[in-house]
Amino acid sequence: MEKNTRGLRARALAICAVLASFVIGPFVSGPMAHAASPTPDPRTAMTGSWNRYPEIDEKPRPGFPPPAPIPAPPLKAQYKTEWEARRKAVADAEAAGKPLYSNYTACLPDGMPAMMMGMFPMEVLQTPGQVTIIQEAYNQVRRIYMGASLPPIEDAEPLYWGHSTGKWEGNTLVVETIGIKEDVRFRDTPHSNQMRISERLRLLSADMMEDEVTVTDPVYLEAPWKWRWVYKRMPGYRMLEYVCESNREYRDESGAARMRIGK
Amino acid sequence: MKIEARRRLVALAGSLLALGATAAALAHHSFAMFDSDHQVKLSGTVKHFQWTNPHVYIEMDGRNVKDEKAAEQHYTIECASPGILTRIGWKFNMVKPGDTITVIIAPLRTGEPGGLLKQITLSDGRQFLNGGPAGKPNIE
Repeated sequence: MEKNTRGLRARALAICAVLASFVIGPFVSGPMAHAASPTPDPRTAMTGSWNRYPEIDEKPRPGFPPPAPIPAPPLKAQYKTEWEARRKAVADAEAAGKPLYSNYTACLPDGMPAMMMGMFPMEVLQTPGQVTIIQEAYNQVRRIYMGASLPPIEDAEPLYWGHSTGKWEGNTLVVETIGIKEDVRFRDTPHSNQMRISERLRLLSADMMEDEVTVTDPVYLEAPWKWRWVYKRMPGYRMLEYVCESNREYRDESGAARMRIGK
Repeated sequence: MKIEARRRLVALAGSLLALGATAAALAHHSFAMFDSDHQVKLSGTVKHFQWTNPHVYIEMDGRNVKDEKAAEQHYTIECASPGILTRIGWKFNMVKPGDTITVIIAPLRTGEPGGLLKQITLSDGRQFLNGGPAGKPNIE
């Protein structure tokens, strides 16, 4: 009897604690709370909503320096000239007030690795055997299968988000991705079917996460292309749906993006 | 307590996203087609409100309030996306046909009657910006 009462009391307390965490959660997850709380187990704690860090004009948080700007892709000389010409054309068109039309303007998702820049909020879901990452813009979803083998390159169907396998190295989620469509180009950078995107995702604290990205491609790149993205948790944020359904932007005869006038 | 919590969350999400949306909207398309250096203030009546991705649009009949000779005409005003706007406090049903609104826009460089929203004043006096990427008004 005594035991039962104690058991019930313990259970009631546990339920209260869970309920309280829902109510209080948003308050205790501010920067003040982080300093005191240890980094939780990344095998479950990457789950949640995240936003790019820092945002435009955001003052960096102490202890979390913003990532360095992404360097130019180390393209082999024979591809570099064309890439530079394309980047110049984009910049010149901007300066002339006639921005060039792009896949993204055409309502096509940006795919990998671009979706990991966190344009809009991003949600990570950790379930047995799988990590799913959802980018709010364009409802993009990538599925990382833990411990799965990747198909041979020649059998990897080209996709927007490709084929991904993941594994844990200590507290780092290591992800390998292949099979990206050749017209899905990050920063106008060409790639072959041999491109591999390696990512190392880890929590920097309870509410900060980084993704170290390394792109290799023996056809186009003369060296690995590396950069880092950092994210901050969005406590309580609920992802919105995003269907690119009524695009008024169109490509005019010069290749520029234009806005259609009138209903 | 609950309402206060929600308010804080909304405020937090709003401030986070007001700042962070720049690259997002720029990613869909650049705003270089709009002339932010020569902003215009229009007042008039909403004809249609399109709350969709990738952009929200306001169709209005209005006139340039700073130009006495300006005639009323139809304008198409581009706003950010529903997500960006939701995160800074807009609602899908906040603007309706028939509403009288005042907007500050960056006009299209082509001279067509349209532009990018910088700020909207609703008939009840509430004012909203258009998220980080669109930038702020530089006229009153």
